[in-house]
Amino acid sequence: MKVPVSWLREYVDFDWPVEELARRLVVTSCEVDRVVRRGVPDSDGNLEHYVVGRVLDAHKHPNADKLTLCRVDVGAGEPKQIVCGATNVATGQTVAVVLPGAVMPEGFTIEKRKLRGELSEGMILSERELELGQDHTGIMVLAEGLEPGTPLADVLPLGDDVLEIETGFNRPDLTSVYGIAREVSVLTGASLAAQPGTTSNSLLQGNEELDLRVDDLERCPRYVGRLFRDVTLGPSPPWLKARLSAAGMRPISNVVDVTNYVMLALGNPLHAFDHDKLAGGRIVVRRALPGEELHTLDGQPRKLDPDDLVIADAERGIAIAGIMGGEETEVGPDTTNVLLEAANFEPLGILRSAERLHMRTEGSTRWEKGVDPELAPVAAAYATDLFLELTGARWVGEGDIRGEPLVRPVIEYRPPRASEVVGVELAEDRQRTTLEGLGFEVAADWTVTTPSWRVRDVRREIDVVEEVARFALDEVPRTLPERREAFGWLKRDQRLRRLIEDVLVGCGFHEAYTYSLQDWDPDPNAVELPVPLSALQRILRTTLVHGLVGAARHNVDAGNDDVALFEVAHVYLPTGEPLPEERWRVGGIVSGGYLRAKGAVESIFRTLHAEPRFEPAEHAWMRTPASARVQSGWVAQLDPELLEGEWGCFELDLAELFALVPERLLYDDVITYPPVLQDLAFLVDEGVPAGDLAKAVREIDPLVREAAVVEDYRGEGIPAGKKSVLLRVAFQSPERTLSNEDAAALRERIVADAAERFGASLR
Amino acid sequence: MDWDAYERDALRDFDTARDASGVSEVHVRYLGRRAALPLALREVRDRETGQLLNSLRERLEQGEHAASARVAREHVAQQIGSGGLDVTLPGTPFPRGRLHLVTQVRREIEDIFLGMGYEVWDGDEVSDVYHNFDALTTEPGHPSRSQSDTFYLDGDTVLRTHTSPDQIRAMESREPPIYIVCPGRCYRRDTPDATHSPTFLQIECLAVDRGITLADLQGTVLAFSRALFGPEREVRMRTSFFPFTEPSVEFDVTCFLCGGEGCTVCKHSGWIEMGGAGWVDPDVFRNVGYDPDVWAGFAFGFGIERIAMLRHGIPDLRMFWENDLRVLGQF
Repeated sequence: MKVPVSWLREYVDFDWPVEELARRLVVTSCEVDRVVRRGVPDSDGNLEHYVVGRVLDAHKHPNADKLTLCRVDVGAGEPKQIVCGATNVATGQTVAVVLPGAVMPEGFTIEKRKLRGELSEGMILSERELELGQDHTGIMVLAEGLEPGTPLADVLPLGDDVLEIETGFNRPDLTSVYGIAREVSVLTGASLAAQPGTTSNSLLQGNEELDLRVDDLERCPRYVGRLFRDVTLGPSPPWLKARLSAAGMRPISNVVDVTNYVMLALGNPLHAFDHDKLAGGRIVVRRALPGEELHTLDGQPRKLDPDDLVIADAERGIAIAGIMGGEETEVGPDTTNVLLEAANFEPLGILRSAERLHMRTEGSTRWEKGVDPELAPVAAAYATDLFLELTGARWVGEGDIRGEPLVRPVIEYRPPRASEVVGVELAEDRQRTTLEGLGFEVAADWTVTTPSWRVRDVRREIDVVEEVARFALDEVPRTLPERREAFGWLKRDQRLRRLIEDVLVGCGFHEAYTYSLQDWDPDPNAVELPVPLSALQRILRTTLVHGLVGAARHNVDAGNDDVALFEVAHVYLPTGEPLPEERWRVGGIVSGGYLRAKGAVESIFRTLHAEPRFEPAEHAWMRTPASARVQSGWVAQLDPELLEGEWGCFELDLAELFALVPERLLYDDVITYPPVLQDLAFLVDEGVPAGDLAKAVREIDPLVREAAVVEDYRGEGIPAGKKSVLLRVAFQSPERTLSNEDAAALRERIVADAAERFGASLR
Repeated sequence: MDWDAYERDALRDFDTARDASGVSEVHVRYLGRRAALPLALREVRDRETGQLLNSLRERLEQGEHAASARVAREHVAQQIGSGGLDVTLPGTPFPRGRLHLVTQVRREIEDIFLGMGYEVWDGDEVSDVYHNFDALTTEPGHPSRSQSDTFYLDGDTVLRTHTSPDQIRAMESREPPIYIVCPGRCYRRDTPDATHSPTFLQIECLAVDRGITLADLQGTVLAFSRALFGPEREVRMRTSFFPFTEPSVEFDVTCFLCGGEGCTVCKHSGWIEMGGAGWVDPDVFRNVGYDPDVWAGFAFGFGIERIAMLRHGIPDLRMFWENDLRVLGQF
């Protein structure tokens, strides 16, 4: 919301500099995005160059058809010659003049200069040039009788500072200038003027009956209608246009402008209907009928839902309640009789309708927050004052329908509670001043009654504490909790997760972050979003590798070499229940094929002191020449269809992996007695997995401490269909030095076992 | 045997050996299995001769050691050549990867909180509506609940919109005191742009104990901010609104780029918005079965990427999800 400071000062006469006010409001009340200077810059006497002038005579410019040469009385000195481009300039007019040396709102400086050969000593101004309104069809003609030379600033609002404010969901009262003024009053200590409308002295000049009916008092708990006759529709006066423009609204006509002005002043959206266009002169507030449609002010046809609340006349819907009026009953140039609607609408219904219809308006954004239900008659009264003043209307009738009366929360409040929560001593009289300034009634026994404009937000003691606390936030000390019991530590899985991340980084992998929501997943039952943001992010993944392939492809496309990426993140396994099963996984992709990926997996296992067992296994979703199952996951050569070139990839489930990690590592004496090392070359069928052979050797006897595959050789010297597997075997005992006989016996058993189980013979 | 001559000859031969194989020849000649000295040592019978020959052997071994070192040095010098070693040539490369910047920052934050006595809590990302909204006393009409802000799987299941469901799960699972930080992925229906991503990482801190105040919150935020952004940082709290804290505040830290003077990063305010915070709403305690007259707490949360972006000058949030090695490799 944009709050012109001149408007704010009308309600609270603070004497702080605006910047200071903005800085403090940010802490106590609401976001202030910035302070903007609008209109004529107010620096270095700039305003002195803006004066009232009178056109003494106006002639056609000798050298230009569309220009007029004017002599303008500007008070002091000789009349000035000014070239004017507007068609409506005429002798005798009182006009706004800017003289050479002035800086204009848009930033440029007025200079004495020749236009088509004729000297121009200033400029006659239009509304738009002064940022008072949109009208640039001609110059602004001021009221007669103003003395030439009068400072223009005495006559027109030439400039203003505007606070650009963001208000929270919980503060409907701050969507109004008066609501902000209330905060400023508490903050600065300046007194607050009476709420506009509460001091109205407009008189009802007639007793016409209004035909009002509210069918849904829950959705519309208050409806005040006021009827005005003899309305003269026309432009608003400059002060009103200036304020609306500064507040970011476009001036339209005096009637519409008044409804907008009162909305901005008080926070209660209003609507004006052309009474003559209401069928039967009737207003009915009801739910939309099935299939009902209406054309809103913006010319759009709107299909309504029976959950939408509409304002109808005797025949049809004429407005979507609280959101937008309809085209057919809009106030127009011929309007003379106006029905003013000052209602209250329940927020959730408005929110649902606005969402369903994709319509967010100045009105709906206020209703959504929950407007004070007591505000409608006040807003009606204030609008009445302005209608009578600005449109020459007579107020001839009123109707007022209300539902259940508002219940204001009554809270038993303990002032020491605030000090306990905030952590700083807050004196009782100060708390009372703050609360009363905000409109709370505070009884002698500290029973606190919430004002009508805060009933949604302040219902409990802690809510009252917040009201006090927010005006003391800059006094809060900095302490740390006096902890006595809790302590911090990383749990086992968290430590191990960091460990494998570090191992993979050490192996040359870069960590990647890919999206949990993917465009495709191998699991046909994977959880899909019913309404995804895009087709690229629609399925909760059950594998990390699909995303990693995308990341690898991005790097290939970018021309990066040696791509090796890993990710540690959740996958979401479908369970048939609404909630998927979330599991931590590590996935990786590396250029170079199966063995590179397997090497990374082996590094992870080795680091964790777990022994990997690889078994050939068809991959679930890749047609790949090499893939294996390993405890907790798999390793594979990437299907070349997914990404060109040789790539290896893997994915391990962390909970399953960590279950393999020994809880405790015990010292193994490999120092005291030396190992006996032997190289054994076995001749086996090509189909025998070397890893299985090595594993079998290791398991023969505890004295076989290690058996590692050193070479897997086929070719010259080896019969067809056979291969040679070279194992390096270490025999070692923690208790004694092994003799040659020990080694020979072990070797004999190994050879016999390998022959029996794998058909292996020693080369 | 003239052991004096034996020693003289051996040391001379070691001194004049030209290379490693020369040294090894000399070794065979004087210290090898068939050389005179080892043979004599094997035969020795009296203590005096034994001592004499052993000390001779030690001297010869020293000579050999010196000779080996000398020829090795000569060998290196010869390899390098007359121009001397170009010490600027690249070394033998070892593979080296990097943790993602977001992980680095996340770990740093976790470690700061671990140091202050917090545990790290890992929670699930798909949540029922109860833990994501209801238990956090989010009103039925609150905009965050709308389909246009939140990813719903069905009427009662959402992708969590913040890490706050972890607060509830932690409190449901144990009695106070609780000091936890909850990092993790969160999801909102934001169209991706330079500062928004439908998937983002948040970290949330929750402290529940006796007598916790807003002053404790501010002190904790200050300690954290100084650890992360430098000891000169100041913090401030501003009033705000969150459904699950009362009072609610936003906290800001003095800009670590301009030091509070004003720059484009802090939009010339001198302050950088860090995140939301507040005193845990008593109704949240009631929802998890804690007595709000006994227990008090604070919570605060913020985006991890935002901190990484600010601190390292990353211009676009989407870069974190592109995984380009040219970017990942910089951090």
